[in-house]
Amino acid sequence: MNLIDVYIGEVTRRLPEKNREDIALELRSAIGDMLPEEYTEEDVKEVLSEMGNPAVLAGNYSDRPMHLIGPRYYDVYISLIKMILPIASVISLISLVAEYIFSPTEGKAVLDIVLTIMGEGIWRIIEVGMQVFFWLTLTFAIIERADKGKDTAPLTTDLKKWTPDDLKKITYIPKKRSISKYEVFGSLLWTAIWATVYFYANKLLGIYESNGDGLVFVTPSMNQEVLNGYWPAVIVIIGFEIALALYKLVKKQWTKRIAFFNTIYEVIATLVFIVIVTNPNVFQPEFITYTSDLFNVGADEFVSRIVWGSSAIFLFFAGLNSFEGFRKSKAQ
Amino acid sequence: MSNLLHSLLTELRRGNLTLAVLSQLRTPQYGYSLVHRLEKSGITIEQSTLYPLLRRLEKQELVTSSWDTSETRPRKYYVLSDYGIEVFLKLKEEWIKNTQELHQLLEGEENDESD
Repeated sequence: MNLIDVYIGEVTRRLPEKNREDIALELRSAIGDMLPEEYTEEDVKEVLSEMGNPAVLAGNYSDRPMHLIGPRYYDVYISLIKMILPIASVISLISLVAEYIFSPTEGKAVLDIVLTIMGEGIWRIIEVGMQVFFWLTLTFAIIERADKGKDTAPLTTDLKKWTPDDLKKITYIPKKRSISKYEVFGSLLWTAIWATVYFYANKLLGIYESNGDGLVFVTPSMNQEVLNGYWPAVIVIIGFEIALALYKLVKKQWTKRIAFFNTIYEVIATLVFIVIVTNPNVFQPEFITYTSDLFNVGADEFVSRIVWGSSAIFLFFAGLNSFEGFRKSKAQ
Repeated sequence: MSNLLHSLLTELRRGNLTLAVLSQLRTPQYGYSLVHRLEKSGITIEQSTLYPLLRRLEKQELVTSSWDTSETRPRKYYVLSDYGIEVFLKLKEEWIKNTQELHQLLEGEENDESD
């Protein structure tokens, strides 16, 4: 085994085809110059260690960068990842929940469905995250190699050199007005939860009794058919909620317009809630008798207490939310 | 501290290497002879840096190369091109100016210290 040949092979195999022969010849001549007339393997090793790691030597020869994404594109790359990742995760979550709502799986326990959605949701976010990461990295790695320009100054997100005018594009957001990503994500999650509960109310909301080995679902409290009858109004509210959340995600701060839409949303939601809850058939008769017996009140009185109590609470929070929206939009 | 010092010194020297190599190429040189000439002046250059550097200089048309096959071992000789001489002289001028400026800065700092 000739160490010199192997060494030169290790260098040249990392180089473009057309340069290999010439560089191999030159290296061989250079190594020959460094060796004494009669040399041992020890001498060869010493000379080769002076030449250094073949990968480094080949890297020095090559014009191609020895990194995936260099300083010129790094900042753009990171900003894009930060921008795209949350949006992609939210969209994948919404589409997942929509799939489940629009294709009800009959005869499946609700807890099962909720757990499936959560499990699959986490899995999908990971999957989408990996996809975004992979394609973005690949794209930038290719751009890095295709860019033959001599200019190495880092670029801004619109792929131009930075100028002071770029500062005008940045909207300064005071802390009191800002809307965090977590807030938006939380409200989307809340939408998913209540929508699931609404369309599976007859399996989820009701009276549970403990019979020694866990909770047993005795009787549902809501009439699912009545609830389902209001589906157009509920879908409108869900759509409104998602649209508002995404708008908040884009704007990142409370504005008068957001506060205005927020109020419209609260008004519609409150109206629909009151209409549904005052429907005389929305509660199951078994539920009413069971509970009114439990609390020792008349059935009619019990129903009216639930209706007015829940409506009052709903109204209070709707008002509070609308007010908070306007207050935050005016904050400095 | 010695690690940091080492990396700072390497950085400092790296920029000067091109100038050092160019300065020795007014007459044709091959790799090993170049290493020797530089070492005599106290400048050490890694082999893995020198050969790629020579090739890059050739690509930038600052030097030209030719193979000499008359001896037992073929050798690749590098020499400054006309363009290379021009660039080298400008670079040399700039370097001398820069070091003088830096020298003054460092002298001034020394005086401050002794005050």
